[in-house]
Amino acid sequence: MFTLSGIVETLLWGVANGCIYILLATGLNIIFGVMKLVNFAHGQLLMIGAYVAFVASTALGLNAYLAILVAMGAVAVIGIGLERFTFRKVLGTDKLNEIFVSLGLIYVFENAAILLWGNDSQRIVSPYESLRLSLGEVAIGYDRIFGVLIVIAILIALFLLMKKTKIGLAMRATSQKSDTSMLMGINIEKVYIFTFALGAALAGVAGALYGIIFPFNPYIGALPTIKAFAIIILGGLGSIPGAVVGGLLYGIAENTAVYFLGGIWQDAIAFALLIAVLVLRPTGLFGEKGE
Amino acid sequence: MVLAIKESIANTFGFVKNEVVGFSRSRMFYYVLAALAIAAVVPLFTSSYVLSEVLTPMVIFTIYASSWNLLASSGQGSLGHAAFLGIGGFASALLVIKLGIPPIIGLFVGSVFSAVIGLLIGLTCVRLKAWFLGMVTFGFSVIAVTIISQFDAVTGGIMGFRTPLIVERGLPFYYLTFVFAVISVFAIHLIMRSKLGLAFRAIHGNELEAKMNGVNTAKYRLIAFVLSTFFAGLAGGLYAQSIQYIQISIFEPYYSFLPLMICVIGGLGTLEGPIIGSVIIVAIDRYLPGIDSALQFLKPLFPNVSFVGPPLRMLFLGLFLIVIVVFAPKGLTAFIRRAYAYFRGKLVTVKEQ
Repeated sequence: MFTLSGIVETLLWGVANGCIYILLATGLNIIFGVMKLVNFAHGQLLMIGAYVAFVASTALGLNAYLAILVAMGAVAVIGIGLERFTFRKVLGTDKLNEIFVSLGLIYVFENAAILLWGNDSQRIVSPYESLRLSLGEVAIGYDRIFGVLIVIAILIALFLLMKKTKIGLAMRATSQKSDTSMLMGINIEKVYIFTFALGAALAGVAGALYGIIFPFNPYIGALPTIKAFAIIILGGLGSIPGAVVGGLLYGIAENTAVYFLGGIWQDAIAFALLIAVLVLRPTGLFGEKGE
Repeated sequence: MVLAIKESIANTFGFVKNEVVGFSRSRMFYYVLAALAIAAVVPLFTSSYVLSEVLTPMVIFTIYASSWNLLASSGQGSLGHAAFLGIGGFASALLVIKLGIPPIIGLFVGSVFSAVIGLLIGLTCVRLKAWFLGMVTFGFSVIAVTIISQFDAVTGGIMGFRTPLIVERGLPFYYLTFVFAVISVFAIHLIMRSKLGLAFRAIHGNELEAKMNGVNTAKYRLIAFVLSTFFAGLAGGLYAQSIQYIQISIFEPYYSFLPLMICVIGGLGTLEGPIIGSVIIVAIDRYLPGIDSALQFLKPLFPNVSFVGPPLRMLFLGLFLIVIVVFAPKGLTAFIRRAYAYFRGKLVTVKEQ
């Protein structure tokens, strides 16, 4: 029952799913790297992004891929609000407070989504839904290929932003030593807002892509957060290349586990991997410093 | 002897005594006695619904939240405590059913089993910082679901099963949980007052400084983890009995987030915080649905949901949590203390005039 084409298809699907996780993990990682803050409600931003894209594509009649831009912008704005009104208040206090605020946000987002859009599963209908690229016995939907291409484009843009622009320089400086960068004339608060908005925007794109590929409901946020965490730990904290490789490995591992062991293992395999990495190599596969 | 007990109970609130405003120790003793008396007498006058659906959960969640609080007092925030609640519940019930041992012994063995699993998990993650510990514990609660459902033939977790009872439901069971809660809270109090508790607080305060002063931080964090999972397992065993039924849903994130909510709202790192928090959260959980029908007038605003009440309540619970963390980080306990000190201060000045 395990055929070669089945395995190849599993790997391809793994890569495509991995791409969504990469976006989420990269956003989480940027926020963590610069602000030393962990937003456990990051997956809920993904969920909101999926719904925004859904509204944009159904109510406004936008093409599903244009709706991604709407989701990106809307979730970035939400991110700015979150940073300004909640996380900034607890930043620098007890680390547990960040967890509590995130937990409160999870409740707020999930239930706001239920109130606005109901409990039922929704999906974003893409115009290319029925199109499949077939390579011999293996077939993969165009939507997944587009998803991968979009993620690659975003990652290149992100790389240029971090390396070539002033705000990227400011972010890197802040991530190394926030006090010193403040002394060097960097407006830390602005950097924080930008960082959080950037991370949220990535989550918004991830959400829109998720909505194009999978059906979604208000409760989908929790597991992707944890998976993004697993990826960050796998790839090494604060390392964007690490998050990319980690995300790919993770997507492939998850799909392989489903293929060989059955769907019930999909989520458990993630955490088995996570715990194994933490025990064997606490700094992650590519991490330099332990946190 | 009596004096010693009195002193000891008076110290019940000792581990936050730096923050105590206006409470003197001898007075404290009477407050604790009064609280115990109320908790012991009130059930005699309530309906059986209130007894089994409100008061008993309050007492059980006090144990559960106290176990979480103990872990948090060493600076470790678990996001997957439901795993240990569930393991305690499943282990204690299965031992009784499969091996035929008395339920009370099953309860203890189940708690110990939970602590052993806690030891294994703790070994992998006590060196991690707060967020990653949270992640790993949450991950473990997901793995636990998979394992329980994978070995459904042994665990019977997917469909669930009836749990054997130690004593009959109603008053006897309430007093049983009450005794366990008093013992647990008192034991946690003694732990927090001992050298162990000092180490926990030192680690929470500043891990690096604790290390520099010769505290073996990994060891003490592991001890905190094991102790906490023991009490969580105990709470799980009791909870499974209180609802007379155990199913895989006990591992849901709801149960993982519950003790966190309770502790934050009650007052993190205080002994009375989990007690006050459980009373508030269980009361909200049981009585607030009463306003659901009143909220239904908002229905036209939200055409996609049939019942507006539950999500709206949960939304405000989330907002409430954020507001508490941002504006009253020490929880309602600190608020009550401050109010008490304020009014006491007023009384004293009035007398002096």
